[in-house]
Amino acid sequence: MKLSYSDEQNLLRDSVSKFCMSDYDFETRMRSVESEKGHNEEHWKLFAELGWLAIPFAEEHGGLDGNDVDLSLMFEEFGKAIVVEPYLANVVLGGGVLKRSDLEDKAKHIEGIIAGESQVSLANYEPEKGFNLANVDCEISSDGTVNGLKTTVLNAQNANYFVVFGKHEKDHAFALVSKDAEGLKCTSYKTYDGFVSGDVKFENCKAEAVFSVGSALNILEETILDALVCVSSEAVGAMEKCYQLTIEYTKQREQFGQPLSKFQALQHRMVDMFMETEFTKSFLLKVLATHEADEKRKLIYGLKNQVALAGKSVAEEAVQMHGGMGCTEEMSIGHYLKRMMVIVHLFGNDTYYLNKYIES
Amino acid sequence: MDLNFSKEDLEFRDEVRAFLENEYPKHIREKMHNGEELTRDEVVEWHKCVAKKGWMGHSWPVEHGGTGWDATKVYLYLRELALEGCPTFVPFGLQMVAPVIWTFGSEEQKKKFLPRILNFDDWWCQGYSEPGSGSDLASLKCKAELDGDEYVINGQKTWTTLGQFADWIFVLVRTDDSGIKQTGITFILVDMKTPGIEVKPIITLDGDHEVNEVWFDNVRVPKENVVGEVNQGWTYAKFLLTHERSSIAGAPQMRRAINRLAKKAEKTFHGDHPLSEDPTFKAKVAQFNLDLDALEMTELRGLAAQREGNPPGAESSLLKIKGTDLQQRLSSLAVEIAGHDAMPYGGPYGFSDIEVTAPKDAQLSAPKYLNFRKVTIYGGTNEIQKNIIAKAILGL
Repeated sequence: MKLSYSDEQNLLRDSVSKFCMSDYDFETRMRSVESEKGHNEEHWKLFAELGWLAIPFAEEHGGLDGNDVDLSLMFEEFGKAIVVEPYLANVVLGGGVLKRSDLEDKAKHIEGIIAGESQVSLANYEPEKGFNLANVDCEISSDGTVNGLKTTVLNAQNANYFVVFGKHEKDHAFALVSKDAEGLKCTSYKTYDGFVSGDVKFENCKAEAVFSVGSALNILEETILDALVCVSSEAVGAMEKCYQLTIEYTKQREQFGQPLSKFQALQHRMVDMFMETEFTKSFLLKVLATHEADEKRKLIYGLKNQVALAGKSVAEEAVQMHGGMGCTEEMSIGHYLKRMMVIVHLFGNDTYYLNKYIES
Repeated sequence: MDLNFSKEDLEFRDEVRAFLENEYPKHIREKMHNGEELTRDEVVEWHKCVAKKGWMGHSWPVEHGGTGWDATKVYLYLRELALEGCPTFVPFGLQMVAPVIWTFGSEEQKKKFLPRILNFDDWWCQGYSEPGSGSDLASLKCKAELDGDEYVINGQKTWTTLGQFADWIFVLVRTDDSGIKQTGITFILVDMKTPGIEVKPIITLDGDHEVNEVWFDNVRVPKENVVGEVNQGWTYAKFLLTHERSSIAGAPQMRRAINRLAKKAEKTFHGDHPLSEDPTFKAKVAQFNLDLDALEMTELRGLAAQREGNPPGAESSLLKIKGTDLQQRLSSLAVEIAGHDAMPYGGPYGFSDIEVTAPKDAQLSAPKYLNFRKVTIYGGTNEIQKNIIAKAILGL
């Protein structure tokens, strides 16, 4: 048994942590959120230069052959600063499908992602279809024509390519569709956590390729499992920051002639926040240290349930203890709550994954 | 003990229903139904419509224009309004400053202000909290000094809800800082048009402009605008807070909302079955309804006691804590049902410029959830309410 990170992993954590601490204060983040792309292009270039975008890809495609532990520790650091750069959308989701696929020129597309030059968004969820991944109406015909409507396509407005999941000849497949394809209509919007997303409509769109016929659903499931670990790690980082910011604030805010941190009723609640964070972190480590596929899958479902419940509770408590100021746009703490709430519901909430856990 | 309504009560309920059917302005009804923002004029129009019917004073004594209804009628009235989705009454005049004026104010103040409040001629707002005085309200510093026949106010108030629309503000000011902090506070009424007042918006997490900072720079106010005695304002302030707290539980609105959510869950799929058939989700809704029943009965007990001449006391803290806890759970359930559809953010009132696939109620669920973080903080945080219960009810 080994429950520690390798030297390389510690170096990676240090490097991500340094970036988040020195280049990613709250004001900088909010400027990125309000910018046209919804993230900072200089940061994205830096991620590429530092090799972060190469982590989960195979060496033969220019990747670093990293694993879920590497991704997890990055996301934990991202969570502490609520990083808005589209790592999840491109590297974990878009890239995650590509790397597992049988797409002929996938090397070219993965290299584009690694270099930070190409952005690829996964388009799978549909209106009123819930979180069951197989539940789609989108049709990819034998000649590669795509028809369908996809929602909350993460980072849609910045994508050069969409990887579309749909029905194909009594099975499922992916279609690779260029953003410039005729018949594609992207309605971009911000989500309430400040990230960019969009509804993408495909009307007789010609795909550049149809791939992974028959294996698409499995690939999608595996990719979403990776994404669940990533957002759960992000939540753990955000939870840590939530209790730390609350401790700082209550030490400095005085009412009734003493700092709020001196009130025992509040001290106990901060202890609860800390404990919930630590237990969630433990559950995350259990997932990372489990390698048997079925067992791991079940634990990831459990993790998402735990993160949704504990993460929401910790972030809500943090806002409550910041009082009125916590409810304003001006203070960072509320932005942690916003991101946390999106994570709680992204890919399915606590109830959905509790059921998946029970059923598997 | 009987929860059934009498024939007379049911006739009264039908009268309320008929009023809403005929008089509740259609354009306001529609906007409320779609979760759209009402303009100031529309809010005034709604209040005037109720005032014309003579039903604004449901919680007022008859001598000042109150309806004289018993607890059951008040309950039925507010329930019908909530079930119809009517805008809630702006409470600062009707439910907050009015009881202070009729209890502690001069005859001139009663004559001058109460009829205009009852008719919604004046929009009131609240000048209580300050940046350094939230939970510890009595530590407030906003200063008023007597200069001839006028008080001169200098300082800052914050969290002033809808202050941007207000004609009048009731303000707690420091008139003496020689003794303990609770003495030396004065309750004063200020015309918002007085030179030297500046209202600055505060944007909350949902992106809305609902609360404000209110700055006072040498604002001169006639001394006859002081309510009751100088330096005794803390007593009036606390009296007002018990009225504020008992009016924010909002059980009927929640009943309406949970019923709508339960209906929506029948058509919502997260997994392979409708959410309404999911045991965990069903348990959440059932638990909510049970808690709401208990809240509603507690509210009724309070109303009954009030009708028998007992003013609301520390018991209103129970309603505030439980009511706001349920409001937050409800707003959370709405986000939960919406799933991914809660994510697109088009501002506090949804998208107006583009068409997105997420339905409007789903778009509004997250801003509402975020906006509702305030309810366990305003009107005295729930932590402060627990202190009040511990001290005033349990004698700890």
